[in-house]
Amino acid sequence: MPDAERTRRKPTFNTLAREEAFRNPPKNGSTYNILNEFVLPHLESFNALFDDSGLPSGDGDGRGLISLGLEDIGERVVFDGDGKVDNRGWGNRMRIWIESANIARPMVPDKDKHSTTRKVFPSEARERLTSYRAPRNAQGLRTCSYHEPEEFGGYFVINGNERLIRYLILPRRNHVISLIRPTFANRGPSYTQYAVQIRCVRPDQTAVTNSLHYLSNGSAMLRFSWRKQEYVIPIMLVLKALFGASDKEIFEGVMMQDYENTFLTDRVELLLRSFKMFTLSTGEQCLEYLGDKFRVVLGTPEDWTNHAVGAWLIQKLILVHLNSPRDKYRMLLFMLRKLYSVVSGSCCADNPDSPQHQEVLLPGSLYGMIIKERLEETLNQIRNTITIDVRNGVTVDFNDKKYFQKVLSKVNFDIGSKLSNFLATGNLVSPTGLDLQQAAGFTIVAEKLNWQRYISHFRCIHRGAFFAELKTTTVRKLLPEAWGFLCPVHTPDGSPCGLLNHLSRTCRIVTSPLTVAHIPAILAAHGMSQTTTQSIDGRKNYCVQLDGRVIGWARPAIATQLAMNLRIWKTEGINEIPLDLEIGLVPESKGGQYPGLFLFSTRARMMRPVKYLANGRDDQHNPTNFLSILANLTPFSDFNQSPRNIYQCQMGKQTMGTPSTALQHRTDNKLYRLQTGQTPVVRPALHNTYAMDSFPNGTNAIVAVISYTGYDMEDAMILNKSAHERGFAYGTVYKSQIIDLKDVPGASKSATPTLHFGLGRDIQRNGEKAHSCVEFIDADGLPFIGTKLTSGDPIAAYIDDTTGKTRFVKYKGDEMGLVDQVRLLGSDAGDSELQKLHITLRITRSPVIGDKFSSRHGQKGVCSQKWPAVDMPFSESGMQPDVIINPHAFPSRMTIGMLVESMAGKAGAMHGLAQDATPFKFTEEDTAIEYFGEQLLAAGYNYYGNEPMYSGITGQEFAADIYIGVVYYQRLRHMVLDKFQVRTTGPVDPVTRQPVKGRKRAGGIRFGEMERDALIAHGTSFLLQDRLMNCSDYSTAWVCRTCGSLISLGYEDISLGEVAMGASSSLRPSGPGGEYCRVCRAAAEAQDERERQALAAGKAAPPLPQADVKVAISSQHVLGRASKGGDLDVVAIPYVFRYLCAELASMGIAVSLAVT
Amino acid sequence: MQGTHSDLEPSVRIRDLKKDRVNFILENVDLAFANSLRRVMMADLPTVAIDLVEIQANTTVLPDEFIAHRLGMVPLVSSNCDEGMRYTRDCTCMAACQYCSIQLKLDVACHNNTTMDITSNHLEVTSYQMNDFDNTGEGEAGDEPSKRGEYFGHPVGKNDPDVAPVLICKIRKGQELKLRCIAKKGIAKEHAKWSPCSAVSFEYDPHNKLRHTTHWFETDERAEWPLSENASEEEKPRDDEVFDFNAVPRKFYFEVETDGSLGPQEVVMLGLAELQSKLAQIVLGLKKTEPEMLPGERVDEAPQAPADSWGASGGGGWGGNTSGNAAGWGSSSPNRGGGGNTWGSGGGWSSPAQQGAAGWQVS
Repeated sequence: MPDAERTRRKPTFNTLAREEAFRNPPKNGSTYNILNEFVLPHLESFNALFDDSGLPSGDGDGRGLISLGLEDIGERVVFDGDGKVDNRGWGNRMRIWIESANIARPMVPDKDKHSTTRKVFPSEARERLTSYRAPRNAQGLRTCSYHEPEEFGGYFVINGNERLIRYLILPRRNHVISLIRPTFANRGPSYTQYAVQIRCVRPDQTAVTNSLHYLSNGSAMLRFSWRKQEYVIPIMLVLKALFGASDKEIFEGVMMQDYENTFLTDRVELLLRSFKMFTLSTGEQCLEYLGDKFRVVLGTPEDWTNHAVGAWLIQKLILVHLNSPRDKYRMLLFMLRKLYSVVSGSCCADNPDSPQHQEVLLPGSLYGMIIKERLEETLNQIRNTITIDVRNGVTVDFNDKKYFQKVLSKVNFDIGSKLSNFLATGNLVSPTGLDLQQAAGFTIVAEKLNWQRYISHFRCIHRGAFFAELKTTTVRKLLPEAWGFLCPVHTPDGSPCGLLNHLSRTCRIVTSPLTVAHIPAILAAHGMSQTTTQSIDGRKNYCVQLDGRVIGWARPAIATQLAMNLRIWKTEGINEIPLDLEIGLVPESKGGQYPGLFLFSTRARMMRPVKYLANGRDDQHNPTNFLSILANLTPFSDFNQSPRNIYQCQMGKQTMGTPSTALQHRTDNKLYRLQTGQTPVVRPALHNTYAMDSFPNGTNAIVAVISYTGYDMEDAMILNKSAHERGFAYGTVYKSQIIDLKDVPGASKSATPTLHFGLGRDIQRNGEKAHSCVEFIDADGLPFIGTKLTSGDPIAAYIDDTTGKTRFVKYKGDEMGLVDQVRLLGSDAGDSELQKLHITLRITRSPVIGDKFSSRHGQKGVCSQKWPAVDMPFSESGMQPDVIINPHAFPSRMTIGMLVESMAGKAGAMHGLAQDATPFKFTEEDTAIEYFGEQLLAAGYNYYGNEPMYSGITGQEFAADIYIGVVYYQRLRHMVLDKFQVRTTGPVDPVTRQPVKGRKRAGGIRFGEMERDALIAHGTSFLLQDRLMNCSDYSTAWVCRTCGSLISLGYEDISLGEVAMGASSSLRPSGPGGEYCRVCRAAAEAQDERERQALAAGKAAPPLPQADVKVAISSQHVLGRASKGGDLDVVAIPYVFRYLCAELASMGIAVSLAVT
Repeated sequence: MQGTHSDLEPSVRIRDLKKDRVNFILENVDLAFANSLRRVMMADLPTVAIDLVEIQANTTVLPDEFIAHRLGMVPLVSSNCDEGMRYTRDCTCMAACQYCSIQLKLDVACHNNTTMDITSNHLEVTSYQMNDFDNTGEGEAGDEPSKRGEYFGHPVGKNDPDVAPVLICKIRKGQELKLRCIAKKGIAKEHAKWSPCSAVSFEYDPHNKLRHTTHWFETDERAEWPLSENASEEEKPRDDEVFDFNAVPRKFYFEVETDGSLGPQEVVMLGLAELQSKLAQIVLGLKKTEPEMLPGERVDEAPQAPADSWGASGGGGWGGNTSGNAAGWGSSSPNRGGGGNTWGSGGGWSSPAQQGAAGWQVS
């Protein structure tokens, strides 16, 4: 087998085919169709909003989800009377509804007279930093204009940014799951931890969740929410209201002949008994009762009867995926039975974190939900406006067109702005909450950092913002059920780990409903008992459900047979069973999951290719299918320790690669570009499939694993200086600067601008006295293409009409930048003066010491030295490594894949082969080492990839042979130039006078408490003082020797030998500079005054009033009192200390310093 | 030093000589000498390469600085560069002149519907016009231009239809590239573009008789370690051979592959001459410090000093005037004088370049 396998491995760089495809791109469609395939759920879900063609009957009318939504919204009713009997009652009745909703293509405004094509293309919106609006047409999204040969759709252009709605995991629709949550017991008295829950989805994809809570008294309560408010009603009320089932019917329905089960009989009896207190016996009464209670909140027409309101409630909020009351009734009974079985412990609770009970929130569905809700809101607004008018006594005439125009003008119809706000922020502003657990974070920017990052945005799927805050980590766990749906490797490490997942490569999401209406009949014909059958034994029968509808019952053996038949039929296309039909047979097990046969045909389900062993039908089965696209691109990932593959998935996305082949049409804030990208010699088969060669992400480097010079320790790597000089890993950063004269200070708010780009008459452009700006800026005020700019250079000039002066916009970056492009941005109509510029600056980033590199195996390192080529080690053939890494990088990390890649790369380079690095291709019998070792041997190298090498310095052979080969290296975007922080002196905080923090503000790095501890521990007191005092907020302050106060300084102006005289014309003592302590002087003067008065009165001086708290000051300092506030000293203190004293003083706390 | 070896004259046996490569065996020199030769050939030989690029028009897809970098990498014919050109830093001109630089121009525009390749063949060597100097002026007149060959400074392979040119950029209809380049003399220590060698292979002791290295193997050393081609030049070790721990490497297998700017022969010749001049510098440096030397030391007048003289006086005059390479060459050799006294008169090694070496200045 190994030999046959080897001949089958047909590696190729595909160069010629790629070149050919690049020269002659296909006229319609793209070169790589798979790129359109993997965003398909994004696109299709939007298409489904307006086009459901091919829908089977009963699943819609083929006009799309929006029209279904409109149907569900129904009508609003208003009256021109106020309902009071003394007037004319409700008066005229008017019904309002939305007939249809349409979307248009983005068009050039009608004002514009010059355009030949009225259509606006997405790339224009992107380049003009506007939104691709008025569209809302998924079709338009898909047929993006092809600047990029591999461009695909599925995203929105909002203000020049590409944004997309991220997939979100939701509970599986129309499927009852049982839950045990201790928090349920807190819902109210007699509530317990048991509940069953079903997320019901209407045909228009909006959802309502119904929960059934078990109460400790044996009965159950049904919970639903209406406009974010939760309501609970007894289940019996609903069961009766549905079609007036009798107590016996309900009893039989729940028991299903299981009369010996006393647990069940007791509960059902309690259930029935507890409802007696309501004294409602018929269905009519129940509906009346419901309608009466809920009329206030539902907003139904005022003239409806309670009965009608009750029926409406049941129709709109309870098991909304089912239409007929009988179906709802059966489903409720099923829920009740499942609930009781969980309570009794005969089956376990379901795990809501398992993909078995999950589905995907499709972007289009969410979009449709929002549209539907906005439409509903406008309808409600119209109704409310009219109602308020009626209440306020405004003349309301339903036959007056003018009145309607007035009403409509008051109502906000701009759904588009609401939607673009949603897309721009990801925030959901919704009165109902759309039955979702989060209100923010739905959209993300599709960053084009590199191709890998870009494509993974379209495959990422989030568990929900709610789970990110959860303390428990169970939701993050990788479950075996996720195999083939979610990639086990491609998830970030850190806080979003396990919550932000990526779809496996072959995982599909069903976006269209299936033809399933005929399935119940087929199943019935094959032994399933119909629902109408009387007396079915619940113990011996499985419930058969199709999309959350009970379609029958079957004995275990028959159910198993049915499941097998369905699987065979669907794989072989018999009986028109659709391939995407999901067949879930849960066999009975003691304490396991609740048994049954569950069939699902709805959209938003994740599907994976599997092999049905019974008939051997194979759906493109491949061992690497369970990995995501990125995880698949890690060569030999099966040889690596698994966390390393996770790291590579992260680092692949941070690589400085090729973000786009149409850079001149990009307006991103920051783009990283590797100038000399190569196709890897060692690559998995999927490398070609996913067009990775169009967007190279790294360089094939000669890598020696050797401890040389010591500069390669601790994950540092040495770069060959000559390789660097020849352009190894040379990169460029493209930054954008937007200059909008509307935002410049001094811009007029009026329609006619007062600022114009250009150089005014005050700027001399020629001759000796030419202004320095002419080096950078042309007469039109725009920079020359290719100009070198350093910090502070003018980048654009504009004339201010009011002052007549020319003003400049400065380049603020701190690196040298080159003007790459200047883009003039006009208005939508193209009829206004130029006011906005978009300038692309090119910043060269040749690798420097401190830049980060990584191989494709999670082995990242920092360049520590650029070593001269002559000093680098060399092999017998004269090869010198581009990169040296330390052997210590391997033992603990166990990235054997990297070692294999090195061998494979070396052999591939020697033989001119593209090596296939698809994981799981080698076995214990046919090892990779053997395969590549033979190739190396054939090329004259050592079997294991080692080579004797010579020291470049002495020319002596190393004592050990060196492992050297070719490894694909990525340059990561983390570069020292963006990160270094250095400061000697600089800005300080105005309050504390300590250095500010932050790299942007030229601040310092905090020398914190623990660092202080270290210095103390070392006894380096001088350093300690230097760091914490001299280099920080060193200041000098006057301190009063008498009272020890820092903050009572006063100054007397005695500069010309004057002396200060007090009120009593006595000499006021002060220091040599005229400084004195205000507190002590005041105290001394008061004392003097008292003594004088006492003297005058002939009495002894009264004792000094004593302060409550005395600070212990040694007597030698107290003696200074004689100086009467004139005895001050200068001390060096940290400035914050003075601030602290002032703050404490404000709270009435005196700080006293003893100066010795 | 081994008595048997010291008697033997250093020798060179050329096994293969092609246009761009030479394969030879250097015998009876020490490891340090051989490695020094390798290092000098790689990093210390002056060549001409484009150093300054003035872009007049660039509407291609590649940014200016990237095209400039690519142009710098284009090898230019640099034969007799030592005499044919000055270093700009040694020239009295302000920026560049005919004595210290070569001017190349490129002016290509595409007018066809097909993709056009701009290659090194589009680079035209042009003589300096008066308006090319912006009041910088020429340097002191010299005879350098007369010593240049016919194609001096031309891109390698431009005049040879068999050699594929170097691709600089691809342009499409309507795109244009117009620029002026100034090529200067330099050495690879400064920038890799001035290296005449693309690779220098270097090997000794193919059978690992000296046991400098260890061949790691899993099961069978012979099966896992294929012998190099040079192994046939030496006697296979017998299984019972006694390890001679006094043996030193004496036979070095070189293959010098050049990028075409210099011929392989010239590279080796110049390398030796360069090595010689570096040593001469050392000797010169030692001479200058004569008064400071210890009494009783004898300094040889001749540039080719006997081994003991400069070996013993190492304390005084090392480092100062020597470049980094010279230090490297002297540092680790156990017997410094090994090759020193022979290569000046070594059979067949006289080179015209040696005459010029005296006037060469070490930076």
